[in-house]
Amino acid sequence: MRIVIAEDAAIMRDGLAAILTRRGHDVAAAVGDPEALQRAVDEHRPDVAVIDVRMPPTHTDEGLRAALAIRRHFPATGVLVFSQYIEVHAAAELLSSAPAGVGYLLKDRVADVSDFIDAVTRVAEGGTVLDPEVVARLLNAGRRRDALAGLTPREREVLALLAQGRSNSAIAAGLFISPKVVEKHIANIFDKLGLASSDSDNRRVLAAIRYLGP
Amino acid sequence: MPQQAYAWIRSHPLVADGLLGLALLAGSADQLRVSPASAALAAIMVNTALALAVAIRRQNSVVAFGLAASVGLAQAAYGFQPDGGPSVRWLQPTVTDTAIVVLLYTLAARQTRRISLGGLVLCLAGSGLAISGWAFASRSASLLPLAIAALGATFVAAWLLGDSASYRRAYYVSLEERLTSAERARDLEEKRAQAVEESAARLRRIERDLHDGAQVRLTALAMTLGEIKETLAGHGNPREALELASEAHQAAKDTLSELRDLVRGIHPPVLDRGLQVALPSLTESSAIPVSLDIALAGRLSPAIEATVYFSAAELLANAAKHSGASRVAITVRSAAAGVVATVTDDGNGGARVTDGGGLAGLRQRVQTIDGSIGIHSPAGGPTVITIELPGRT
Repeated sequence: MRIVIAEDAAIMRDGLAAILTRRGHDVAAAVGDPEALQRAVDEHRPDVAVIDVRMPPTHTDEGLRAALAIRRHFPATGVLVFSQYIEVHAAAELLSSAPAGVGYLLKDRVADVSDFIDAVTRVAEGGTVLDPEVVARLLNAGRRRDALAGLTPREREVLALLAQGRSNSAIAAGLFISPKVVEKHIANIFDKLGLASSDSDNRRVLAAIRYLGP
Repeated sequence: MPQQAYAWIRSHPLVADGLLGLALLAGSADQLRVSPASAALAAIMVNTALALAVAIRRQNSVVAFGLAASVGLAQAAYGFQPDGGPSVRWLQPTVTDTAIVVLLYTLAARQTRRISLGGLVLCLAGSGLAISGWAFASRSASLLPLAIAALGATFVAAWLLGDSASYRRAYYVSLEERLTSAERARDLEEKRAQAVEESAARLRRIERDLHDGAQVRLTALAMTLGEIKETLAGHGNPREALELASEAHQAAKDTLSELRDLVRGIHPPVLDRGLQVALPSLTESSAIPVSLDIALAGRLSPAIEATVYFSAAELLANAAKHSGASRVAITVRSAAAGVVATVTDDGNGGARVTDGGGLAGLRQRVQTIDGSIGIHSPAGGPTVITIELPGRT
C-alpha cells in the first residue's frame, strides 16, 4: 500500500519509514509539518496517512486538524493518528467526523511492529482502529458504568475488542473462543445495550463508540 | 513658588525661626529705650531670650516654651505693680511677648495634649495676671474683661491651630504607612505571581524536552527492538537483526546522554555538594578560561545556590557566545544581607536586557527570590554583572 508519514521527530519518521519499507510498502513521502502533509497527500493520493498529533507550529493538535481535513478532502485516504498521550476527546472527534478509514493509536504501539502494521493496513482498507487504552478509559468512565453493569465479564471483553475495531474472527482468536460464540456474545451485547445489530465492522464500532463516547 | 518657600522653611527650621525671632525683636526696638543704660541692656537681654526661644522652637518645643513662659511670668509679676507703684522697667512687656503665642502653637503641634494643655493653662493664667497688673497700673479697670477675653481667645486659637496641625501630621504619617504597606503587598503579590508563572513555564519546558527528546527516542528504540524480535522469530536474517541491534544500542546510548543533559538542566546533581564543588565543575567545561574566587561562610539555601549556579552558567554561556572575551572572572562572596556574585569578562561589552533574552530571564529569576541584578557593560567592555541575593549562609 502507498503511505504518507507526518511526524516532526526525524528519528521516529525515519524509523517508521524503515519498518514500513522493509515490509514492502510504498512510503511515498515522510514529512514534518501539516502543510507538507497536505501537499504530499494531494500529490501522492496514498491509501493511508500516518500522522503525529503534535506538530509545528504550536505542537498541540495540528496533526488531528490535518487528519480531519484529509478525511474531508480525500475520502480515499485513511488516516491513522498517533500520539504520545491518549486524549479521549481527540479520538471521539476523529470517530464522530469520519467513522470509516480512521485510527487513533498510542505511539507506544509501534513497539509491537506487526500489530502496528496490521492497524495501518486496516485503516488503509477503510477499517477503524481505536487504541485499547481509549476503549478502557471509556469503559471505566463512571457515568457509563451503570449501563454496562448488565454485561457479563466476557461480554465486556468482547465489547472492548469490538470497540477497538476488531473483526469477529480477530476477537475469537484473541479470546480463544470460536467465532460462533463471539457472534452470540455480540448479539447479546447489542441486545442489552438496545442497539441494532449490523454486519458492518465500522457500523459496529460506530455504534459502540456512540454509546460509549464522551 | 510658595511651595518652594514652604519646602525651604521646612528644611531649614533654625534659620527660618531665627529670622522670625529677629523680626519680633525688631518690632519692640522702640520700646527698649529705657534708662538707665543698665536697665536698657537688661530689657534687651529679656527680649533676646524671648526671640531665642522662638528660634529654637522646632529644636525643642518644651524648652522654648518654658523659657518664654518664665520670662513672661516674671514680666507679668514685676512689669506692673498692683498698687500703681514703680514697676521694674526692664521687665515691662513688649511686642516680643507675642512670641508666646507662636510657642504655644508649636507646643500644641509637637507635644502630647497633656503637655500642650498645661501650656495653655499657664498662658491663660499668665495673661490674666499681666492684664490685671496692667489694669491697676493704668487705672482702666473697665477694659479688663475685654482684654482678658481677647488675649484668652488668642491663646485658645493658637492652641487649637497647633493641635489640629499635630492631628493632621499624625494622619498623614498613618496614610503614608498604609501606602507603603500596600505597595509592599502589591510588590510581593507580583513577585509571587511571577514565581508561579516561572515554575509553570519551567515545567512546560521540561515536558516539551521529555516529549520531543527521551520519549521519542525510547519509542523509536522500542520499535527497533520489536523489529529485531520479529526478525529473529520470523524469516530470520541474522545480519539484518545485527544491524538493527547496533542501531538500537546507539539509540539507547543517545537517550541516556540526552536524559543526563536534561536532568542536569533541572537540578545538577553536583549542586547537592554546594557551590564550592558545583561552580568549579561548571567552569571546567567553559570554552573561555575562568578564574573563580569563592568566599562563603557556609552553605546557602538550595534556592539561592541554584540561582547562583544557573546565573553563572547563563552568564558564562553569554560571554562565550556574544562577548568575544578571552577571560572571565567569577567571584562569589558572603555579604551582610546574603550573597553577592560578580561575573566580569574582558569582552566587547554592550550587554543589554532585551525582551525574552537571556538577561531578562535571569533578572526575572533573581527578582523572584527578592534579589537584584546590576549590569555594567559599556560599549568596548568590560562587562561586569553583579547579582545580589538575600538569604542566610
